[in-house]
Amino acid sequence: MRVIVADDSVLFREGLARVLEGAGFEVVGQASNIDELDRILAREDAAAVILDIRMPPTQTDEGLVAAKRIRRTHPKMGVLLLSQYVESHHALDLLAESPNHVGYLLKDRVADIGEFLDAVRRVGNGGSAVDPQVVSQLLGRKRSRDLVDQLTDREKKVLGLIAEGRSNEAIASTLKISPKTLEAHIGTIYSKLGLEPAVSDHRRVLAVLNYLRSA
Amino acid sequence: MTTVQRRVIQAGALSTIALACFFEVKFKTLDGRIVPQLAQEWYRVLIDLVPGSSFVLAGLVAWSRRPLNRVGLLMIGVGVGLLTRNPELQHGIGEIAYPLEVALHFISPLWAVAFLHLLLAFPAGRLVSRLDRDIVRSFYALVPLAGVLAVVIGHYPLLGAIGQPVFETKGPADYVYLACLLVGSGLVIRRWFLGGRARRRSITPLFGPMVPITIFFLLSLAYFLGARVTPIPLGGLKSILGDLATAFPLLLVALPVGVLVGLLRSELDMSSVGDLVVKLSGGLAPERLRPALAQALHDPSLEVAYWLPAQEWFADLEGRRIELPTDDSERAVSILGDASSPIAALVYDSSLVHEGQLVDAAAAAVRMALENARLQVQLRAQLEDVRESRARLVEAADSERQRVERDLHDGAQQQLVTLLLSMQMTKAEAMRHADPETAAMVEANIGALRQALDELRELGRGIHPTILTQAGLVPAIMSLAERSPIPVEVTGELGDDRFAPAIEAALYFVVSEAITNAVKHSQARRLCVSIDRRPVLAIVEVSDDGVGGAEPSLGSGLRGLTDRVAAVGGRLTVKSDHAGGTTIHAEVPCG
Repeated sequence: MRVIVADDSVLFREGLARVLEGAGFEVVGQASNIDELDRILAREDAAAVILDIRMPPTQTDEGLVAAKRIRRTHPKMGVLLLSQYVESHHALDLLAESPNHVGYLLKDRVADIGEFLDAVRRVGNGGSAVDPQVVSQLLGRKRSRDLVDQLTDREKKVLGLIAEGRSNEAIASTLKISPKTLEAHIGTIYSKLGLEPAVSDHRRVLAVLNYLRSA
Repeated sequence: MTTVQRRVIQAGALSTIALACFFEVKFKTLDGRIVPQLAQEWYRVLIDLVPGSSFVLAGLVAWSRRPLNRVGLLMIGVGVGLLTRNPELQHGIGEIAYPLEVALHFISPLWAVAFLHLLLAFPAGRLVSRLDRDIVRSFYALVPLAGVLAVVIGHYPLLGAIGQPVFETKGPADYVYLACLLVGSGLVIRRWFLGGRARRRSITPLFGPMVPITIFFLLSLAYFLGARVTPIPLGGLKSILGDLATAFPLLLVALPVGVLVGLLRSELDMSSVGDLVVKLSGGLAPERLRPALAQALHDPSLEVAYWLPAQEWFADLEGRRIELPTDDSERAVSILGDASSPIAALVYDSSLVHEGQLVDAAAAAVRMALENARLQVQLRAQLEDVRESRARLVEAADSERQRVERDLHDGAQQQLVTLLLSMQMTKAEAMRHADPETAAMVEANIGALRQALDELRELGRGIHPTILTQAGLVPAIMSLAERSPIPVEVTGELGDDRFAPAIEAALYFVVSEAITNAVKHSQARRLCVSIDRRPVLAIVEVSDDGVGGAEPSLGSGLRGLTDRVAAVGGRLTVKSDHAGGTTIHAEVPCG
């Protein structure tokens, strides 16, 4: 899978590139600012862009603005945003436009190499990756808490993993349960929360997040 | 002007009346008795004698009461001109001294220009605008020219003979007379309609008489034009108009009376200063000082400007700077107090300039009150200074916090994340080399590093939440609510409105501190944050169902919040009793 890495710290960029290349990804470009990223995008085709939310010159939200722009100009390219702080506001903002080809993770997650590479693959293949902290924050909302309290602990875990954008196979193997048991859990969760069963993994992420947002 | 000169002018003016009377009266012998008889029909005598004398007499009175005001002299001039404009009288004088008759021919038409001058100069006695000065000067220059022209082209005598309609023009000088009346009445009426209350009030004595004068004048003009232009006989109407036109100068009598009343009225107005003194004795708040002065001086546009010695400028009651008008024809200024240390300045309509005594009296009456008000203004200006500097301090502190957070983010946090990554790679390497001991050691360090990163992140958030600058108050408050250990319900909407950074920061830290306090001390089970946007006010309120007893004067957190909110012009109130529950309410004015 071809990826582009954009971050203003050269050490972090190099480290990330090494991790990615070690796992068989092809890093086709490294950018230290948005202008460089645009030049690489004009030149190279890639399945995903990994970029920091705070980039020069103002170090506020240049990366976020660029991510939204790239998603419009390159709808088939995955955009994985990294940030030192994750905010549900930004996550919902990104997913509201389209729940596909997008990820939003805490920067520390790069150190959970397996999980991180999985997220890059998901985003590159059109899926989504939402940081567990965003999910737990949304679940922490007052009214979400009241609603989610109807669920068993196991069901809560399943809901959280769904909201992070994981597939059924991934969830089943994480929780070490059979796909059949998982489907039974999902059925219970949906009926308890009054959610319409969603066909694809992508659509159910948005459905769950929207449910938590509006709760 | 010396006393001798004054006496000469007074004597000259009075003897002109006597002279005019003398030449109107002939003495005849009837049945052996000598009886006085008018030289002409009585009404013809009246037409010049009455208005002329009234102008002279009113002018003399005005001049003696207001020696510095030129209005009196102008009235005398108009009167003398009216009295001596009669050609038969001039002829009579000519029989005694011919050069005098010739001189009168040229000079007496000046009365019309003096009349225009009077209209424009009233009540101040001087021509205020440049336009007025230009108009009057050109007319003065025109009269002798017209006289010469009349002699040259053979119109002689110059003026309409007594008994003939005024507009039966005999020569160019009459056109001057016509033009003066038209221009003068036009300008007075225009000034009345365009002027403010004080100006209107000041020219009322002119405007009153000028309305009938102008109407009669226009009727006469209609008669004149009708007689000249239309061949159709106007019959009875023509004769009525003719009579009106003939009697026209009699109407002028109203004018000197009006002018005199207007000029002396400020004496009557001194009683309004008396009222002012009465009001002051009852104690007058600085806010009511200006209206009281405006009323006493009959000028609603009056402004009071207080001198601030520290700033060396004049300011209004709120401490805002006021520029005094400089050499403005519409506004006049009186500065109270010494030139070196003024107390205040009164800025008023320039039509009050001639009422200098009235302004001085009113100013003297309010001097003490003005001094008090000035001290108050000074205090307010200082308060405003302090408020501004406090706001600047908070802003500086906010941008410093932002800078520190950014340094933390770009420095320590970034380096630690990079270190975390490389330690993970080391661990993977150790595993690959089948070195589980090293891998376990690295893993332990990774754990410690993650914790350090989490703590650093919380520290950064506490210093300055980037979501606040990125997305605004509501997302930042939502983020606080989501991370709170106690459930927080957020209600109310601000929409996408953004406020000034200082306001957003103040309100954010109110909510943040309130949630922290509730978590630490209140034993609350739930919290409620409401956000409200009024037209000029942003309001946040945080309430809990805890044990209460929060004391704003004790906790340095609440104290700091109160100061922070006050720095952006807002107010923080804490309601917390031991019966339970604490409500922290902050409201901040916003554009």
